[in-house]
Amino acid sequence: MSNDTNSIWKTLVDLPANVWKSIFRNPLPTSDRGRAATSFTNFFLHIQPVRVSRHALRPTYTLGLGLISFFLFVILTVTGILLMFYYVPSSTQAYDRMLDLRSSVAFGVILRNMHRWAAHAMVATVFLHMCRVFFTGAYKAPREFNWNIGVALFLLTLFASFTGYLLPWDQLAFWAITVGTSIAGYAPLVGKELRFLLLGDANVGQEALLRFYVLHVVVLPAALSLLVAVHFWRIRKDGGLARPEPVEQVLQPPQSPAAVEPLPEPVASLAVDAAPVRRFTIQGLVRGPFVKVGKLEDDTVFSWPTLLIAELFVLLLTIAGVLAVSWFFNAPLEQPVNVMHPPNPAKAPWYFLGLQEQVSYSAFWGGIGIPGIELILLLLVPYFDRGKQGVGRWFARQRILANSVFLLFVIVNIVLILIGTFFRGANWQFVSPF
Amino acid sequence: MAAAPKTNEPAQPAEEQVSRRSLLAWLSGAGVVGSLMAGIFSTFVFLKPRATYGEPSRFRIGRPEDFPPGARIAIDTKRVCIVREGAKVAAISTTCTHLGCIVAPSETGFLCPCHGSHFDVDGNVTGGPAPKALSWYQISLTPNGELEVDKDNEIQTGTYLNV
Repeated sequence: MSNDTNSIWKTLVDLPANVWKSIFRNPLPTSDRGRAATSFTNFFLHIQPVRVSRHALRPTYTLGLGLISFFLFVILTVTGILLMFYYVPSSTQAYDRMLDLRSSVAFGVILRNMHRWAAHAMVATVFLHMCRVFFTGAYKAPREFNWNIGVALFLLTLFASFTGYLLPWDQLAFWAITVGTSIAGYAPLVGKELRFLLLGDANVGQEALLRFYVLHVVVLPAALSLLVAVHFWRIRKDGGLARPEPVEQVLQPPQSPAAVEPLPEPVASLAVDAAPVRRFTIQGLVRGPFVKVGKLEDDTVFSWPTLLIAELFVLLLTIAGVLAVSWFFNAPLEQPVNVMHPPNPAKAPWYFLGLQEQVSYSAFWGGIGIPGIELILLLLVPYFDRGKQGVGRWFARQRILANSVFLLFVIVNIVLILIGTFFRGANWQFVSPF
Repeated sequence: MAAAPKTNEPAQPAEEQVSRRSLLAWLSGAGVVGSLMAGIFSTFVFLKPRATYGEPSRFRIGRPEDFPPGARIAIDTKRVCIVREGAKVAAISTTCTHLGCIVAPSETGFLCPCHGSHFDVDGNVTGGPAPKALSWYQISLTPNGELEVDKDNEIQTGTYLNV
């Protein structure tokens, strides 16, 4: 009897520890084996490799842009879901709901500000991330397809931002979407159909608001999440972040006399290239430098805790940045929609102002032709640029041609956006902002 | 086995080289791909509205007396400008052919606020990025004497209705 009581008592005493151990299978690691096991047995940590190269951790190499983009996406998902509780995608109610966020919803203003500024920031960081990957030559084989997934993610980000732009249903939203969707109408053959399909009507109205809402809150986030998962997965399968090929170390013949003693004949015949003892790791199947035998530990550190601390730092920095901007600057909200009075000039969202500037010269070439060619070139560049030189370094000298062409493309687009934003006034006449 | 004389087995015709298994596999594959295509196509059919809830394309705008000779009255809600010269009436679209903004009547014709396209009084392009002239719509008198515009019917520039 006393034995039973003791065992029940012991069960109760051990309960918290047992629950904890059933969730977290490893105690906080104190050994390398423990650090590996921590990464390996945790669902959220196993997305990352057990070991990560020091090169990938250098902030000056990645600038953390991919990670910042992802964290902005997380912030957007959280704030977006919260805003959904108070939003109605109706042309008669949407604008009032915007006003309600200001007057009668707790934290309504800061949530909307965060969502707005994080969305703008994400468009920027995804683009900058693409620039980083290009200028470091990180799109080259075997990472061609992940580059293409990245291009798709960039387009989805633009489209997600664009569909969200309409939802406040104010003058800014209405006319930006009117101008933006008209550009789609210039696509050959399918343009008019595409525009009608997107708007659900001949003009921007209730149908368009509902369609953009569904795209914005379900379709595009789902597509983005899926592709982000594939993007991350492929980073690992393609051998981690791109880094320079290690300087060729000529394998020294063993120096000590003991090692020179001849191996038994069958073993020696297997040891082609005089390979040292083979040490395969969990990444044994991964392509790229990880399979390099013998020099595995030279430039890598354990993900737990080095990588995690770095990621946590970027996360906190991202949240702090978004919060700070949202604290000081309110998201714009203009007059409610008035279909009879387009603002003059009517401007698309800033990331489409380069496009709108091009369109003001030629509707087809500016809106469809040139962007289409640019997109095809972006998708094909890793399949044309097959050189193996200059990977994993910023502005490598061997890549001067590719980098110059891409830099030109970036500068032209940024200049077009700046002209469209600051130098275009009423009737799209050239004005000076100074 | 390999040494078995071949003379006992007549050469098989090429058609029968396709085994039942691979034929069924091909048919199944075609079925799956076909269903997928049909599914995608149906989704687009579903997404394309059969009826829209927006503005009707045929509407009445009032009696001819409401538009005195020389008037150029833009009805922005209907995106049309009613022009009257003497006894002749016409309805010109005020939707810019460039990117769909609403053009405003000006002294020289029409002006688009979005990208600065200019049109003359008949809607022909005189400047800016607009690729073609503003449409003219069919306008008619209903039996009770009201003017009716039909935006589904585009007519040739310069075709007026006598009232």
